[in-house]
Amino acid sequence: MTAIAQERGYRSTWARVLRSPALRLVVKRLLLAIPITLGVTILTFWVISLIPGNPAQQLLGPEATPQQIHQMELQLGLDRPAYERYLSWLGGAVHGDLGTSLVSGQPVTPQLADRLAVTGELVALAVFGSLALAIPVALLAARRPNGVFDRVSMFVSMAGLSVANYVLALVLVLVFSVKLGVLPAIGFVPLSQSVTGNLQSLVMPATAIGLPLFSIYTRFLRGDLVDQMQGQDYVMTAQAKGIDPWQVLVRHAFRNSSYGLIAVAGLNFGVIIGVTVIIESIFALPGLGQLMLQGINARDMVVIQACVVVFAVVTVIGNLVADLLQTVLDPRIRYGDR
Amino acid sequence: MRTNIKLMAALMAALLGAVACSQQGSSTGASPAGGSPQRGGQVTVLEDAAFAGGWPTGLDPATNATGGANLSQMQAIYGGLFLLTANPDGSGAKITPNQAQSYEIADGGKTLRIKLRPGLKFSDGTPFDAKAVVTNFKRDMTSTCTCKPIWILAKDGIAQEGDDTVVLRFAQPTGAAIDNFPIANVNWIVSPTALQQMGEDKFRVNPVGAGPFKVVSNRLSSELVLQRNPNYFKPGLPYLDRLTFKSIGGDQAAYQALLAGQAQAYEGLTTVPLLDQATKNDRLTVTSQPPTSPYVIQLNTSIPPFNNEKAREAIYYATDFDAIAKGLFKGKYPVSQSFTAPGGLFYHQQVPGYRTYDLAKAKQLVQEIGGINITLGTLGAYVARQVNTALQTQWRQAGINVKIEDYQLNTLVQKFNSKKWTAMLQTAGAWDPAAGVGVAFRFNSNSPFTGVKDPKLDALLNQAAGEVDPAKRDALYMQSGKYISDKAYAPFGLAFAPANLATKGVSGPGLTTKIPSLAVNNGIIWDQVWNSAK
Repeated sequence: MTAIAQERGYRSTWARVLRSPALRLVVKRLLLAIPITLGVTILTFWVISLIPGNPAQQLLGPEATPQQIHQMELQLGLDRPAYERYLSWLGGAVHGDLGTSLVSGQPVTPQLADRLAVTGELVALAVFGSLALAIPVALLAARRPNGVFDRVSMFVSMAGLSVANYVLALVLVLVFSVKLGVLPAIGFVPLSQSVTGNLQSLVMPATAIGLPLFSIYTRFLRGDLVDQMQGQDYVMTAQAKGIDPWQVLVRHAFRNSSYGLIAVAGLNFGVIIGVTVIIESIFALPGLGQLMLQGINARDMVVIQACVVVFAVVTVIGNLVADLLQTVLDPRIRYGDR
Repeated sequence: MRTNIKLMAALMAALLGAVACSQQGSSTGASPAGGSPQRGGQVTVLEDAAFAGGWPTGLDPATNATGGANLSQMQAIYGGLFLLTANPDGSGAKITPNQAQSYEIADGGKTLRIKLRPGLKFSDGTPFDAKAVVTNFKRDMTSTCTCKPIWILAKDGIAQEGDDTVVLRFAQPTGAAIDNFPIANVNWIVSPTALQQMGEDKFRVNPVGAGPFKVVSNRLSSELVLQRNPNYFKPGLPYLDRLTFKSIGGDQAAYQALLAGQAQAYEGLTTVPLLDQATKNDRLTVTSQPPTSPYVIQLNTSIPPFNNEKAREAIYYATDFDAIAKGLFKGKYPVSQSFTAPGGLFYHQQVPGYRTYDLAKAKQLVQEIGGINITLGTLGAYVARQVNTALQTQWRQAGINVKIEDYQLNTLVQKFNSKKWTAMLQTAGAWDPAAGVGVAFRFNSNSPFTGVKDPKLDALLNQAAGEVDPAKRDALYMQSGKYISDKAYAPFGLAFAPANLATKGVSGPGLTTKIPSLAVNNGIIWDQVWNSAK
């Protein structure tokens, strides 16, 4: 009897889980990520095939004869129709083989794995660092709108939004490497080699990417918090109950405002990935952005395709995580109210 | 993106002014190597990702497509059969045998005999002999890189004589053959054994030569780490224990990395405002290399409007390179009227009868032919873009309607291949006009990068390249320059060469002394570079 009851208990738990709107939402989002990623790969393949110029010519150099170019086209399979080449690439990609570089002749997947760690760490530091700073700053600014702290934070945010990432990167190097000599201007130290060295090598690139993000997040969150505090019934109710205004701000208003912040952070993911291409080049970081730039310069379609796909997948995952976080935090989404 | 990085250099020049003010010291421009050489230590060299910092096809001379840009990496790994050497001030430049012991030109320039140093070994311990060199030469001649020498070989033109001599037999006199070596892939000899064992794909990443350094790791177009080759044939050399090449996104980032002590050298600085800053900085040695390739405005004489000689003449008269040299570059770079420059062989600044700036004549010619509408293209480099903008302004004053464009290398090649371009600002010439990206590259009828198809000019240039007697070659090049000028085929301009930067304590030939430019950059002799600030 006990075993049967236990069995029924498990079943009902599973049934509850499977019926859960949150799980359905997660599955729906995951399923949606597949056609999006596939669409990105098709679009990338198509766009790259539209770029004028011949990869075989690029590979062989300007002195190549038409015969040599034709031979190279055959060798690279460029004589085959685009859809055939795409399907062949896709077949390899689903098995983890993203192809062999047209230019260097080296397999792309190991190179990507190596470089993804660098870019991943850089982006994570930039995103989480900017969020970790933006949240307390926005809370303090919203506590007294138009107060001294709010005005100072607005000035810093506007400055952060106005300065291009690459200019900021150079200013940081000028101050912290050239003048103060406290941080390395270029290069990357792997985490496995030295934790301190690793953080030192990434702090400036992450700041160059993260400061504009910090500015966006701060302004967005501050504005939303002020709206919540000034016009929402639940805030007035809490205030009427005599709850400390700081608690109302942090425990009530912030929770509601965080949904929007998460959405903005998710949407910014694609932009951040684009910025890393320039920042990695300035700081000589051996990341994905640098590899993609090299691929573009050499018109190495396989490398470009692989990098774009990885970036796309990372962006899709980033947005998925943002959606899931919103689901966890916002019962309206969790229970299918919207 | 590369454009953005270049743009930021200009943006940041003003900002750096503040830094420079606090760092001004004695001018260090063009100072020769100081102190006495020291063994040990390491040097990190930065290379611009847009040029020398890109080695996407690896570092095998036969398969590398960017050999002309990667002279430094090649020299460090392979050494070279011959080197271009010069006095510290850049004078007296000459070809010096390195892994070759000597050479002999025979049969009126149709035979070149190269004798190798005895007992040479690759860093893998295998013999560096005539057989290895012949194997390399044959393999290199199949390359499609512009760094492949322009040799028209006789049948079985590459052969060996004994274990230490290689013989090249040409189908026509090739007097400039030896001058070709420092810039050509045939100068860099790979270990055939290592190549066979690894296969081409692995070898291009981990190449094995007989140069001063061995490859420790190679992340293509990102970082190349080299260590001292203990089997190097020159006793006591190289001085350095370790040499690292790092790719970086442009002059500005490289300059700051040097000031921050993250690297000790940077090759090929082209951003003029930064050059001024660097020269005033007492922590750096700045060496501007003797230029060998003047700018040339190539005119496509096959299509309108430049199939009309009057339109070409109008361009000559409307162009004032002296004003550009003074206004934009503070008179730092000389202006040539032909394809030679002060750092190269057969240099003559003036060409008799050259059409100089005359705005009234230009306007008259433009009116006479009913107007000129053209696009002036160039490679997307800082100096070239500056010059193009200035030319546009000057030409507009003469009533010429000109649109300017700049391209990445790949697009530039496509433009030339399309044959539909009208005008291009490029560089022409080399240390020896017959070597590398020399004069024929821009003017020979068969070159894909020419705007001229003139059999008489072809014959003159071929004769000059084949001639063995330097005096006769000089006369022939002078004649060629005059012919180009008389026909108004292409006006020449300022001769620009980039500068090398090194932090104090780092010295070496070509880095802190002058050696004429080979292909944009010059050839640094890495086995003699030392770091006393280690």
